[in-house]
Amino acid sequence: MLKTLIGRELLDNLMTFRFAAVLLITLLLVVANTVVLIQDYEQRLESYNDAVKMHDTQLRKAKTYSMMYLFVDRAPNPLSIFNVGLDKRLGNLMGIWHGFVPTLWDAQMHGTDNPFIAFFSSIDIVFVFEVILSLMGLIFAYDAIAGERERGTLHLVLAQPIGRGQILLAKYISAMACLLVPLVLSLLFALLLLTRSIPLSTADFLRIAGIVFTSFAYLSLFYLIGLLISVATRRTGTALMLAMFVWGFLILVYPNLIRATVNPGGNIQAGMKTAQNQIQQILNEHEQECQKFLENEIIAAETSEFSKAFGLYNDTYLDPVTLTSYIENVNFISAIPSKFEKDVPLAKRYYDFVERLTIRTIEKTWRIRKQALENIFVRQATMDRILLRLSPVGIYDAATQAWAGTDLSGLRIFFEAARQYRRVIIDYFYAKDAFASREWFVADKGAVDWSTLPQFTFERRDVGTNAKRALPDLFLLLIGNLVLFMGIVLIFIKSEV
Amino acid sequence: MWHIAKRELYDNLNSLRFALATVLLLALMLTNAVVHLREHPVRMQKYRDAATESLNTLTSRTDLYDLAQKGPEKLYKKPSLLHFCADGGDSLLPAFTHAASHFRGGELKSFWRMTYPSATPNLKNIDPDATKIDWAFVIGYVLSLIALLFTFDAISGEREHGTLRLMLANPIPRHTVLIGKFLGAFISVNIPFVIAVLMNLLVISTSSAVHLDASEWGRLGIIIGIAMLYLSLFLVLGLLVSARVRQSAVSLVVLLLIWVSFVVFMPNTLASIASRFSPARSYDAFQEDRRQTRRAILEVYYPQLDETDDPSKRMVISGEYVTEDATQDGRVREAFLSERISQVSQARTITRISPVAIAQHLLEVFAGTGLARHLQFVENVQLYAREYHEFIADTERSDPESPHIIGVRDGMSKKKVSPESIPIFEDTLSLSKDFNAAAMDLLLLTLFVIVLLAGAYLAFVRVEV
Repeated sequence: MLKTLIGRELLDNLMTFRFAAVLLITLLLVVANTVVLIQDYEQRLESYNDAVKMHDTQLRKAKTYSMMYLFVDRAPNPLSIFNVGLDKRLGNLMGIWHGFVPTLWDAQMHGTDNPFIAFFSSIDIVFVFEVILSLMGLIFAYDAIAGERERGTLHLVLAQPIGRGQILLAKYISAMACLLVPLVLSLLFALLLLTRSIPLSTADFLRIAGIVFTSFAYLSLFYLIGLLISVATRRTGTALMLAMFVWGFLILVYPNLIRATVNPGGNIQAGMKTAQNQIQQILNEHEQECQKFLENEIIAAETSEFSKAFGLYNDTYLDPVTLTSYIENVNFISAIPSKFEKDVPLAKRYYDFVERLTIRTIEKTWRIRKQALENIFVRQATMDRILLRLSPVGIYDAATQAWAGTDLSGLRIFFEAARQYRRVIIDYFYAKDAFASREWFVADKGAVDWSTLPQFTFERRDVGTNAKRALPDLFLLLIGNLVLFMGIVLIFIKSEV
Repeated sequence: MWHIAKRELYDNLNSLRFALATVLLLALMLTNAVVHLREHPVRMQKYRDAATESLNTLTSRTDLYDLAQKGPEKLYKKPSLLHFCADGGDSLLPAFTHAASHFRGGELKSFWRMTYPSATPNLKNIDPDATKIDWAFVIGYVLSLIALLFTFDAISGEREHGTLRLMLANPIPRHTVLIGKFLGAFISVNIPFVIAVLMNLLVISTSSAVHLDASEWGRLGIIIGIAMLYLSLFLVLGLLVSARVRQSAVSLVVLLLIWVSFVVFMPNTLASIASRFSPARSYDAFQEDRRQTRRAILEVYYPQLDETDDPSKRMVISGEYVTEDATQDGRVREAFLSERISQVSQARTITRISPVAIAQHLLEVFAGTGLARHLQFVENVQLYAREYHEFIADTERSDPESPHIIGVRDGMSKKKVSPESIPIFEDTLSLSKDFNAAAMDLLLLTLFVIVLLAGAYLAFVRVEV
């Protein structure tokens, strides 16, 4: 009996105009956007490759250790085609040196990117699905029960010896089978285009499978919302209006409204100020200690001449907005005047002392800064994301971002790696005893050999990590599905025909 | 005709969609007002503080050489009072230009040139994406959707119920019916919209934090007019499809799909395609260009300097060098800025296929935000820079004791400059310029409406009942 019902519903759905229209528009939008997205990705990849090459040559130009121009670049994530998340927005260029701890708030942009283009928000495949799948689900569902009730066919169906739950199940299965056609077809086209131009690993395919499954759950959720409206209303006209406004509210209005109304608390400013003062104090202490060293070791009168000869330079910087802090101690000098040749050991000792102190100081400021950044920026962003999850779009977006690895935690891995790399570089300097070497501040007796410098490598996390992050949201979607279905069954069983 | 409009209006007023539309629009507009009142004073304060600080630094200088060498400091873009109408991606645009001078070793200090920062504060933004709830969003997205929901069944619904036959049996021409339907829908969508707009303006204008004067109210009037035109476009589109299609359900599906493709997807997809046509030079190439320009100028003047030992001649050459360096570098910077901006402008031109992009652009122009406003700001800055240069030259000329060599300290007037005489940057907005920028869009939007209206008329006249 269930089979007959499903068959009837399936035919009913497949032969409609809306099915054809929805299929066409989904295919069109997904394919058109995929083509644009692939081009965009290739352009970003090219920009990345150019940047890597340029930074490599730049590094080799540096003659002294202290004038090292070391940059690491962030490659675009191929899965950003599915959900771009923060992948395109956050900086993709990071300077590395010992007097500064890099975070995502300090990253820059590759030189080939035009910042004005940020004007246009980017459309990814998940965004197309967010809008289209939800609309599809509602359009197919709003008249499922209300329509039959209006036409009087519901009477006939219910006169048959079938449970009401089974009728609903039949409707659900057949409609989902129909709705999956545009989803799966468009994804297949997208994948076809993707694999032709972008090499994807097995792990990437698993991630894409995760995204596809999440899309099913999202689509089904909206179908059930439509079904709920259909069961609860008497007339299709009312059901349609309700469905449309629910759609407009959940997709269009709520995500933007909630971001506008959530007010970042006033204590942020205060917290920022304290952290800023603490860091400033540490930096001041650092300067004092440097000064003390100079005063103790060098006769005061000669200090200025000494510092000019050896490029002594003191710059501590603290940004009040993002608490970026760094220390620079050396200026470029091309050669040492012969009169000061005798003081080279002293300069070496000075730099050895100061640079080691710098590393300690910056580590100290980093502990404060890390805490402040967590409290101020990350907590706010996390809060926003939790509130966004009150709409299914928010959950879907978060889950697919987690699969693609373009969410905040996915991107922070890169900056984590950049910080790791900074440690590696410092260890390399220690091992080479670079701080106490003549090549630290001057290259008149031969330039630094950069060939042994450790390379930066970065691997995205494995699928397991992606899955672990995406699963809570996926479960949330599935639970939403279940709850809605049970609610619909209850209402339908109790309703009069 | 009025009879039909009235009947349509009463039908709508009692409907669920009217109630839902009212609630939705009111909620959005009130949020908009509250957010604006929260953010605007902060924005204004920030601007005033920064502008005053920069002005104080400028007027504290009394030495003409200092003024000529360091330039007019940072110039800030004045935030618009109508920021709540259209945000225009203002947070992505730089809010100031900077007169920068690079110190070089020796006595030769380079002169200032205008630099245009490419602000991307978004680089540090880890919040999820969101569109600002401004009028542009409410009108562009929500109002257009509501317009379609009000008209999708205007004709097909009547045909389904059989009432269309009854109506057409009366001695009324069909175009009257169509216009009556249009007016009815127009008024019934406008009731919630106008109420929401008035509530929004009431909240904003009664607050002491924001003061709107006559020119702002004029702009608001224009913005509301544009909103009505844009609304008509979607109402007419709804009528057109409704007249062509037999069932209202099908009509709605068609309309929704058109809406989704034109309003949601088209602007951004087209923009990302179009922005690839004429990419700006890369930042690195631009820096390379600057380096080369600088080197070329050095190669001209350094040999000249080496040739002569006569201090007065050396001074003349130095002055020329410094001026040339600043002018050429400024030119390269301006060229780079205009390249980047033309890339974006071109992309924006192509998005005009979508009516929502037109409406958004118009709203930005009249609200004094966004790219059009930024271009005006840059123009103002360049005008001011010229004025500033003239001021330096005039002051220099008015001192008979000076050797009149701009560019070196000893070559310039030693007289104190009174702070009142220094020109002050004023960032102004002119409505006539805005009309110029908007004329094409206004025409385009009107054209869309007329074409669709004609289409709806033809469709309805030829329809079989």
